[in-house]
Amino acid sequence: MTGPWNDLPALAQDILWALMLLSPALIVGGIVLRGYAPWPLVRAILWRFRGASALFVLLIAISVGMGIGLLAQERGLRRGTAQAADKFDLVISAPGSELSVMMATVFLQPTDMPLLDGDTYAAIATHENVEIAAPIAFGDSFGNASVIGTTADFARYLADDQIDGRMWQTAGEALAGALVPLAIGAEFHPAHGHGDSAETDAHDGAELTVVGRLAPTGTPWDRAILVPIETIWEVHGLANGHAPAKGTQIGPPFDAAYFPGTPAVVVRSKALWANYALRAEFTRDRETMAFFPGAVLAQLYRVLGDVRQIMSLMALVTQVLVAAAVLLGLFILSRLFHRQIALLRALGAPGRFILAVVWSFGATLLITGAALGVLSGIGAASVLARIVTARTDILVTAPLGWSDFHVLAGFLSVTLLLSLVPAAVVLRHPVVPSLRA
Amino acid sequence: MGVSLSISGLTVLGSGGRTLLRLPQLDVPAGSIIGIEGPSGAGKSTLLYALAGLLEAEGQVRWGDQDILRLGPAQRARFRATGIGMIFQDFLLFEELTADQNAALTALFRPARERAALRQHASSWLTSLGLGADAARRSVASFSGGERQRVAIARAMAAKAPVLLADEPTASLDRATADRLIDDLVTLARTTGTTLIAVSHDPHLIARMDRVLTITDGKLTGDRGKVK
Repeated sequence: MTGPWNDLPALAQDILWALMLLSPALIVGGIVLRGYAPWPLVRAILWRFRGASALFVLLIAISVGMGIGLLAQERGLRRGTAQAADKFDLVISAPGSELSVMMATVFLQPTDMPLLDGDTYAAIATHENVEIAAPIAFGDSFGNASVIGTTADFARYLADDQIDGRMWQTAGEALAGALVPLAIGAEFHPAHGHGDSAETDAHDGAELTVVGRLAPTGTPWDRAILVPIETIWEVHGLANGHAPAKGTQIGPPFDAAYFPGTPAVVVRSKALWANYALRAEFTRDRETMAFFPGAVLAQLYRVLGDVRQIMSLMALVTQVLVAAAVLLGLFILSRLFHRQIALLRALGAPGRFILAVVWSFGATLLITGAALGVLSGIGAASVLARIVTARTDILVTAPLGWSDFHVLAGFLSVTLLLSLVPAAVVLRHPVVPSLRA
Repeated sequence: MGVSLSISGLTVLGSGGRTLLRLPQLDVPAGSIIGIEGPSGAGKSTLLYALAGLLEAEGQVRWGDQDILRLGPAQRARFRATGIGMIFQDFLLFEELTADQNAALTALFRPARERAALRQHASSWLTSLGLGADAARRSVASFSGGERQRVAIARAMAAKAPVLLADEPTASLDRATADRLIDDLVTLARTTGTTLIAVSHDPHLIARMDRVLTITDGKLTGDRGKVK
């Protein structure tokens, strides 16, 4: 059984899982409804108790929507952050917190970090397995955009070589991220620092011109302005990484003697396996720390995984509570239409038909609520994703996954089966007192 | 054609073992038109519901050769669906459905092959009772009491049941409407040969019955022929 199942495409497995989860309810529904046409009565009962019915549908929709929306959002956030770290195979920095360095390099949340010197950078950049070794320099800004110093190779790699305009050629030129509100040709003065505390006139002498725009990356780098790292060093009054004899050279190789230091180096290796060798090689006590941002994120996800489990549990508890409320509601509603049920029984309706009417009523509420819940969940997840994207610049998309449909199918199946209980209880009501009521 | 009724040793007990009805013997020929009168709480409706198999009782209630008290719940339901039409004091219609849908209500739980014929029959009865096609397509929520009770009669007759049980069918109607309804009931019972048993306080209705039973304190205290 395991073999054929594993041979199925993932989509087929997901569809079959959903059907298997739904099958108890489908089978019961088929048995209960077989040969009967209760829908005119169900519609009549729904219309008669439209207020209460709408309330139940709303309750179910909110419960399902909350569960789906929150879990989709969490999954979208995880995907978005993983995607943001995609281009950062290996980061090497001075020893410290991997999380802080990752936040600074991948998510551009700069923090005070010790610098790597020129010799260390040279050792990394000249390593036989290294394709790109990009020093990163941050600390300046323009408006809400961070001004990041790096190398042209890394800028190209980051944007998959898709640059509108051209790459910088001098220290006075810059590339705007996809979301930076600066047009090609625009000139600006970087400020020292970020936000309200930024010193806007600290670098007045540095006038930079935007010569290109990077394609969207779905990362916080979309809202950054990239400049040659030499520019950052120069505006801070430091050596520019090259011996004076090199004139106006931009980009590597750098001269270790004139290398002012960099808080982190983003490394792209020539082969996947080499990443592990490089990490081992540059993880040196008190000298350097090498780590995979993806692995740090995975650790973070493990913590978030617990949160996800708690969220899943909360969603499940909410849905169970709502299911209990629905069942209670069905009991109450079935008391409200006990005369109609008594009439049907007096007219000779079989017990299974009564079961079909009451069960169909409950099933209609549950299925409608679940369908609205899915729609509202998609809507809420989409709105939340946009808000998170706008706030963090991490491209978060929160489409529904099959796991959501499996949870939904399980919820529907259980509640549809439980709906038989109030339907069965209705059958135990004595007919004559209800007729005389 | 109607069906005969034979009751023997019928006892219906209420809560606490109190006797609600005790009827040692009663025979009603097929096609009879019977009225049941008596003071409130005497056991008239209890008798009617016992005849329909809606109450647990001791003794025998034989419709033709079928003792309804010996049947299980499912068999009783099947018997009612095809053998007994019922009319109630306050009509008991689904307000949200049209007259057509109400009249053909039992089609919803009948086998698919019988539904079309039953709907056709219900529609014919509505027409016979003065509710034309336009009225039949309207929701009964807009109907007068008389119209509603005629829909209820059409519903009871739709299954071509040989027995019609009516519980205070004129109680919610004004005099003129009630008189017309009585005409309708008696006429349809006579023309179809249906056995009609009607519980009523209405002397006009009782006066139109061929035979009148009087129930007092759960006992049959009177049984007389047609009242003129």
